[in-house]
Amino acid sequence: MKIGLEIHVQLPTRSKLFCGCSTSGDAPNSSVCPVCLGLPGSRPFLNRQALEMGVLIAKFLDCKMSERVWFARKTYFYPDLPKNFQITQYDSPLGTDGHFMIGEKRVGIWRVHIEEDPGRIRRVGRSGEEVALVDYDRSGIPLVEIVTAPDISSPAEARDFLTDLIIELRHLIGVTGEEQTMRVDANISVGEERVEIKNITGLRNVEKGLRSEVNRQTKMLAVGKRIVRETRHFDEDRGVTLPGREKEFEEDYGYIGEPDLGTYRIGPLASSMTIPETPLVRAARLSKEWGIETKAARQIVLTDWALADLFEMLAAKVGGEAAMSWAMGPLSSSWRDLREKAPGLRDDIIGIIVAVTSGKMTDSEGRMRISALSSGQEAAASGGEDVGDLDSLIVGLVDEHPEVVRDYQSNERAANFLIGQVMKAMKGRYSSKVVAERMKRELEKRV
Amino acid sequence: VTSFPTAEGLRALDDKHSVFCERLEDPLALEQGQFHFSAKDNLCARHFQARAGSRILKGYRPPFDATPIRKLKEIGGLLIGKTNMDEFGFGTFCTNSGFGVPRNPFDIERSCGGSSGGAAAAASLIPEHLALGVSTGGSISCPASFCGVIGLTPTYGRVSRWGLIDYGNSLDKVGLLTRTARDLERYLPVISGPDPKDPTSKAQPVLDMRGEVTTVAVPAEALADLSPDVTASFGEALKEMGRNGIKIREVRMPSLRFAIPAYYILATSEASTNLARYCGMRFGAMNDEFDQGFNDFFSQTRSEDFGPEAKRRILLGTFSRMVGFRNRYYIKALQVRQLIIREYRKAFEGCDAVLTPTMPFIAPRFDEIARMKPLEMYQADFLTVPPNLAGMPHISLPCGYSRAMPIGMQAVAPQWAEGSLVSFARTWEESFHYRFPEAIA
Repeated sequence: MKIGLEIHVQLPTRSKLFCGCSTSGDAPNSSVCPVCLGLPGSRPFLNRQALEMGVLIAKFLDCKMSERVWFARKTYFYPDLPKNFQITQYDSPLGTDGHFMIGEKRVGIWRVHIEEDPGRIRRVGRSGEEVALVDYDRSGIPLVEIVTAPDISSPAEARDFLTDLIIELRHLIGVTGEEQTMRVDANISVGEERVEIKNITGLRNVEKGLRSEVNRQTKMLAVGKRIVRETRHFDEDRGVTLPGREKEFEEDYGYIGEPDLGTYRIGPLASSMTIPETPLVRAARLSKEWGIETKAARQIVLTDWALADLFEMLAAKVGGEAAMSWAMGPLSSSWRDLREKAPGLRDDIIGIIVAVTSGKMTDSEGRMRISALSSGQEAAASGGEDVGDLDSLIVGLVDEHPEVVRDYQSNERAANFLIGQVMKAMKGRYSSKVVAERMKRELEKRV
Repeated sequence: VTSFPTAEGLRALDDKHSVFCERLEDPLALEQGQFHFSAKDNLCARHFQARAGSRILKGYRPPFDATPIRKLKEIGGLLIGKTNMDEFGFGTFCTNSGFGVPRNPFDIERSCGGSSGGAAAAASLIPEHLALGVSTGGSISCPASFCGVIGLTPTYGRVSRWGLIDYGNSLDKVGLLTRTARDLERYLPVISGPDPKDPTSKAQPVLDMRGEVTTVAVPAEALADLSPDVTASFGEALKEMGRNGIKIREVRMPSLRFAIPAYYILATSEASTNLARYCGMRFGAMNDEFDQGFNDFFSQTRSEDFGPEAKRRILLGTFSRMVGFRNRYYIKALQVRQLIIREYRKAFEGCDAVLTPTMPFIAPRFDEIARMKPLEMYQADFLTVPPNLAGMPHISLPCGYSRAMPIGMQAVAPQWAEGSLVSFARTWEESFHYRFPEAIA
């Protein structure tokens, strides 16, 4: 089975791709101007930020980057398209021949380009008396289109691909609202001929749509029928794909260069860009560097970027295994409370965990203290104030309490009183085990 | 106008006409620094319809001013009207308008030329009038020549196209039609300059009005296929220039003949996408057959409201960019454009301007035009299309008269050197006397 995806993701710019209108219009047709309405005599001017985001995505996907790019008019008639052509990129995408990894699986990326979104049609009124209204707030919203090679081998894998891609894009350029706004065209062939399922919205529907199409094609092939090359639509309510209403022949968009926009040299921009580390890349690195399970590393990174920061600091002190169990256990369970305080408490948290792993504090004490930190009892924190040297404190206390030395000769438990005093004074910096050992050693000297 | 009952329509027309005439006649209406100007109907302006000569835009009032109109208003310009034109600029004789045919002020049985026919007629008729025109493939030079006025087409990208209703975006240029070089000196710097709303205007160097034309090159290819009176007038003009100390050289520009086919492919390819938006959704009359699919609905409006020449060019342009033809036509035409630009650049190595007649004949009579086939009409533009395709600035100046009709010559300058064409026009009008028809106002 071969699946290839064409993915459209909204670029999170503040203004539209070819005009100054806000991308967050509220009431229908509230964020429009002559350009995005396609009024005669208006013309586009490029939002450079959108271009930069697109370049960043193409570079992140390890594409071969174009040196110069330009835009093209893709002409087709549709009521939601104000100019009846869409400004997109045709013969000069931002990048080609990249790839994206889903775990160990490599999925080829054919091309990445940016384009404008059409308006949106809303149908209102009772069935049979429906009226279609057009909202142009979406017209001109910047989109990036990512086209994969047919390297995906199951509907579940398609969903994994999209899930992982969105995780990375969210971090890379701050994509938002991904579940609702991600639009996908999926090409799928079980046998020889491929079928395109157009315009599926949302991750879950992609998987569902593909599954139902796999079933349909498999059944047809099983009874010896031929699969016809066609465009279908996924009916979300019925959960099946239906043949498109388009004509039999493939649409000819009659691409020409967009003469109102020039060419843009993106080569220097692309080569000067550094790609920040993305969550899944980081998870893979953590897993490799600290010898922890990829799944665990992924969970840490996806819980929160700052938790992963803390994990890395901890791992440097106490090793990957211990850092992971703390990060995934006590830290992540109280992370919601810790998160905002984390920068200030980082040293305290590390101090507690180092104390536990070096045996200076019990595990349960450590957990208690971390939960105390998260609930705001900062007084319980250690490490901040100077509590003095353990041994000199013990010597002093033993000197002050000769009666304890006397009692200790007959009953070792007499030491507990002094141990308690030390623990209190040291505010939990040492585990009771360590304190008890040192106390015993001192008392033994005096017996 | 056609929708009014006749009597009422005529009265309305008469009212409009008298208001217009009063305005022109009353010098008190103009305060210090103010001046009148008109704009071709494909330039958007508040308070005016912008129909671009097409019935499909009837009633459309744009909510903004085109940049050149805004700039003229800012220095005291009063927009007194929109001038008639061939539908979307599609024509050589201004006979393809959805709103009647303008008549040549020298002879009302003859054409004004196109597509800025109304602009040329206004500049010819009204003293001290500035008319904004637009040229895609010669639409300023041609009517300027037929109506005996100066028509300046600046370099592509010199004047912002914000607010210009597109024909072929990579070719469209806003320019000026006037009676005197003085008006060009005054207003060309005003309408020029970079505009963030038109990215293609942003790369221009500063306008230099000091250039001179001391040597002109005449391509031998331009002198074939001319009517005898044009050949004679142009020859006289060359002699006059020689007496004025201008050096004249002969050059070969064999690629000029490829300009017309390349132009028609590029211009119509772009036009066919530009005109896609006029489909009855928001532009064009909304027909009342709502039960049809959207494709049929769109087709109905487009069939009813586009004129035959617009339809011809939409079909031609759509065909040229289809899969299988795109490389053979559209891409090839782009290459031809580069070839012609190179040929001009080579010609400019030894001269300041390339000089030819503007049109191969004087303004034809309407009955002659009616007998012409589309290809013959297209061929009439063989001297005005090349500089337009190359994006080079050019000017048409009256250079002679035959049978009481004006004849024009056209000078083409290197990219961004329109300043030198203005000084060329100033020098020329000192030695050659222009004639104008008697004003009707």
